[in-house]
Formats: sequence, structure tokens, C-alpha cells
Amino acid sequence: MLEKLANRIDWLNAAIGRTVAWLTLGIVFVGFAVVLMRYVFSAGSIWLQESILYGHAAIFMLAAAWTLAANGHVRVDIFYAKATPRTKAAVDVIGTLVLLLPFSITLFVLSMPYVMRSWAIMEGSREASGLPAVFLLKTMIPVFAILMALQGLAQLARAAIVLRQPR
Amino acid sequence: MMLSDILAIALVASVCAGLMAGYPVALTLGGISLAFAALAHLAGVMDFGLIGALPQRIYGIMTNEVLLAIPLFVFMGVMLERSRIAEDLLEAMGRLFGSLTGGLGISVALVGTLLAAAKGVVGATTVTMGLITLPTMLRHGYDKRLAAGTVAATATLAQIMPPATVLVVLGDQLNNSYQSAQLAKGTFAPNSLSLGDLFAGAIIPALMLVGLYLLYLIAIAIWRPHLSPAIAPDGSARKGRALVRELSEALFAPVLLIVAVLGSILGGLATPTESAAIGAFGALLLTARKINRAGSWPILACALALVLILILRALHIEQSGRAIMGALAAVVAAGALFAADRVWRAGILTSVMTKTTQISAMIFTILIGATLFSLVFRGLGGDDLVHRGLGDLSGGPGAAILIVMVALFLLGFVMDVFEIVFVVVPIVAPVLLALPGISPVWLGIMIAINLQTSFMHPPLGPTLFYLRGVAPREISTMDIYLGIVPFVLIQLLALVLLWFVPSLATWLPSALYGH
Repeated sequence: MLEKLANRIDWLNAAIGRTVAWLTLGIVFVGFAVVLMRYVFSAGSIWLQESILYGHAAIFMLAAAWTLAANGHVRVDIFYAKATPRTKAAVDVIGTLVLLLPFSITLFVLSMPYVMRSWAIMEGSREASGLPAVFLLKTMIPVFAILMALQGLAQLARAAIVLRQPR
Repeated sequence: MMLSDILAIALVASVCAGLMAGYPVALTLGGISLAFAALAHLAGVMDFGLIGALPQRIYGIMTNEVLLAIPLFVFMGVMLERSRIAEDLLEAMGRLFGSLTGGLGISVALVGTLLAAAKGVVGATTVTMGLITLPTMLRHGYDKRLAAGTVAATATLAQIMPPATVLVVLGDQLNNSYQSAQLAKGTFAPNSLSLGDLFAGAIIPALMLVGLYLLYLIAIAIWRPHLSPAIAPDGSARKGRALVRELSEALFAPVLLIVAVLGSILGGLATPTESAAIGAFGALLLTARKINRAGSWPILACALALVLILILRALHIEQSGRAIMGALAAVVAAGALFAADRVWRAGILTSVMTKTTQISAMIFTILIGATLFSLVFRGLGGDDLVHRGLGDLSGGPGAAILIVMVALFLLGFVMDVFEIVFVVVPIVAPVLLALPGISPVWLGIMIAINLQTSFMHPPLGPTLFYLRGVAPREISTMDIYLGIVPFVLIQLLALVLLWFVPSLATWLPSALYGH
């Protein structure tokens, strides 16, 4: 049961992560196009420029949980690297319960009114010709919190499986 | 001492202790800071509502145009790593200089420097360099310690050789600190520190370090020739013109890319973000060509079209030649798609995109955790505490900077560079920059070289761990520790030089930008 839950969450975050990874290629191409347009055709497009910023934000906000699943977040591993699987699992359980979940839940609660205000006016760019979707950009904050919390649950489940095994 | 001061100190201590447990840094920072905010609220010394600013701050990070350069530079670096351009370079250089005593070591240092500039991430540079160069040097009878030291030291140059990712984030943080220091002094039209300033400031000190490394290697070759013997000529090796052609081909691409990226920033032609996009785009083209030399005409056509566009632009015929320009742009676009498709088919693109995404997510999640930390630390009056602590020193500005430098050096043992830049720099830099006669460029370069030194300092420097991970068995951990010592001394010498001759860092930016 626990294993199944962890797998489902892993699958969800990996699917999101692999999708937003394509945005890295996207921002390279659009970024280069913007440079060409500006220096060669003397034409600027705020719309295009903002789309790079949106892509950039989506990369780290939506893929942070996938990175957690892939163990891509830096740890100070002076002790952790040499610890037994049981100790590592214990660190992960405590860390998830005491650090990750409170942080994610608080961020979610704090960001909801902020995002709701933005939705209420369908907030757009401050620039006249910018992208009219600042409310979507801001929505990534609570989504980040939810995805991180979910991945935390998956880590918890995995660690619990390790800890339940007889020594 | 007030309760809030005690809580501020306890917050820092708890974060340091908590990090040791090994839970991801970003979440440790966020979680512990949150707990302290709650505690301080209950104790009545801080309003919990203060952290309500967090979503607004995160939105600020998401829309920060300078930080946008990070995923682009990371993309460029990871792409160059996967393209194995470095391997070619080392092979060609080794053949050219290998027959001289110490020649292989010098080649390794030079290639490492180029690689560091192209990659900008220490871990990646150390791993690549260690894997490619250590076995070669050992096979040719190089001293184990000298070999390990050379690799570890040159790989850490990735911290300070522009366009290093670390300089991008450091520049952003220092600029914020610089502005607030000036506002605090009552300057309401504050100067700013641009990334171009910091890049320009880093060039001379970085090249000075490379020069000192090379001098050391040459000195060893002269006085201890058995430590870095010449390579016996290999009968099958190409000589003369063929060798020169091979070397220039291997050198041409990466050098062109670095010159294009740095030149466009320093020349004021492009913002760092724009030149990062140029660099990433160029790395994609180079990799596509590297995969298969034959059948690369669409890529060559793309490059040619770019050159033609630049020429036509310089001739100012863009108005009458709009149709031609459009056609050339179409060739560029087609070449780019061809390159992406080929890199994708070779299985490289997926791994580059994955790595870029995860490294960016790692950096920015730390920034988010550190943002909550600084909200709470400031809420507890911690910045005043630091201000008072550093301001009360009897030794004046010099003593304050020295203390901060030593503290950063020690923190470098246990904290990742991004944590230090995001957590510690915003606390100390506004205080230091408010002191008389402190240039932000100089401070930035001092911090960068200091952290670079601490990264290779035994026993805890992270570079040494990266190297340990990929070094052959016959090199013991002690060999790595002892081998790095001369290079650490060189670093300290560089810091002393920079301390007494600040113009090493400040001359180039002021010559380029006139301030």
C-alpha cells in the first residue's frame, strides 16, 4: 500500500518534471531569438521576453519536487554519506515531518490569499503588451508547495518501508 | 542581550547543526527558520505575520531577470560536458606539450581552466577532469600528489572564472546589499553593481591564479623533474602540421564560445542573460557538429547565416535587405532545429535537459529556503546584531572584513557555495559595504576566491570529495590532501595580493565602464 502510494507520487512528479525539462530547450531558443530580433531587426517583444521568464520560473517551481525524488537537492553529507540505510531513513522521516511538511503547508496557506487576490482581478503584466497571465505565474507558488508536500509523503512512505524491515 | 538577539543566534546555530544531519539544505533552512518564527511569536518578540511576505519574495525570485541567466549557463555547461569536447582538447594539448618535462601537467591546468570557464560548476568540472586526466597522468609516471592537486585546484577555478554561475548569484546578492548600504547612508540615488562589473573584476584575479599555478608546475618541472616526467614519444602520434590542425580544431570551438559569451557581456553588447542564451545556443550547435562531422552542413549553414547577418547589420543595410535578413533568420532557425534533433537522437539532449532542470531547481529551492531564513533573521533583529558586532571592532574596516573572510572560509567547509551566497552574504555584505572605501567589486572577488580556497582546503573541501569519488584506487585520500597543499598556499598568496592591491579586481571594470 505504502509502496503503491509512493510510486504514484513519484510517477506524477516525474511526469511533470520531464515535461518542464523541455522548457530548458525552449528558453534557450526563445532567448536566442530575442537577442537576434533586438540586435538585427531592432524589434523587441515584451511578450516573448516575458515568456522566457515564465518558462524559467516553471522549470524550478514545478520540477523542485522531481529533483527531491531524484535526490538532486544538496545535502551536507559529511555524516549522511556514511550512514546506514536505517539511519538515512530516520533522517528522512524526521526531516520530512519536522522540516518539509510544515514548510510546505505554511507556504501553501500563506500563498493562497496572495494568489486569490491575483485571480480576482485576473492580474496581467504591468507592461501593456506583456503576457496577461501573472495570476498563473503566481499560482505556481502553492503548486510548488503541494508538489513538495506530496513528494515528502512519498519519501516518508519509502523511509517507513526501510524502517519496518527487521534489522 | 535581548531575547530576540539570543533567538537570532540560536537560529544560526540550529541551522548549522541541523544541516549536519544531512537532510536537503533548502528544506532545512526553510523548516528551521519557520520553527523559530513560531517560537519568537509565542515569546512575543516577533510578529509571525512578518513571514506573510514570503510569497511576494518568491514571486520576486521567479521574475528576477538576472537570475534567469542561471538555467541558460547551466544548459551551456552541461551540454559541453556531454559533448566530450574537453576530452579532445586534452588529448591534443597533451600531444603538443607532453614531450616536455611537466608538459602534461601544464596541459591539464590549461584545459582545466578553459573547462572551468565553460562549465561554471565546480562539481561537474572536478568529475570530468578527474575521470579524464588522472589515469593519463599516472600512466605516464606523474607523482600522485602533484596530479591530484593539479586537477582539484584547476577544477575549483569554475567558481571564479567568468561566466561562473556562482558569480551570477553573488553579483545579484551583492547588488542588493550595495543598494541597501547606500540607502542606509542616505544616498537616495544609489549606484548599482552590474554583473558585467563583477565578471570584468574576476578576469584578472582568475588569470593571475592560473599564472601562479603554471609557475608552480614549471618550478616543479625544473627542480623536481622526476615528479612530472616527459612522455615518451608515441610512434603512431601525429606530428607537425597534422597535430597543429587537430589542436586548433579542438581549441577553436570552446574558445570561440567563451569569447563570444564573455565578449558580448564585457563589451556591453548583451546583458548576461542574453549572452547566456547565445552560449547555450552555441553549445548546442557545437555538440551537434561533434556528434557527426560528416553531414553537418545545416549547422555550418546556420553558423554562416549568423555571420552574414552580423555583417549585413554592420553595413546598415537592414532596411533595404529585410527580405534577405528574414531568409537568413529562417536558415538559422532550420539549423537550430536540425541540431536539436540530432542531439536528441544521440540521447544527449534528454540528459542535458534533465540535468539542467534539476540543477536549477536545486539552486532556486535553496534560494527560497534562504529567503525565509533572512526574513526571520531580520525579523529578530539579527542584522542589527551583526552590524553592532562588526561596527564595534577596534581595528576598523580591515578587521571587520578579515573576520568575515575567516568566517566565510570556515563556513565553506560545511556549507554549499549557494547557501553561503544566499544566506551569509545578505547578512554581512550590507554592513561591510557601508564601511568607508570598500568597493563592491573587490569585496565580491575576495569572497569568491576565499570560498574557492575553502572548497579545496583539506580535510573538508567539497572538491576533494568529488575528486575522491572519481580518482583511481591507487591515489589515497591522503595523497589528495597533501597534493592540494601547495595550491592552497598559492590561493592564500593571491588573497594577500588582492588585499594589498585592490586594483587587481577594480581596474578592469573601471577601465571598461568608467566608474
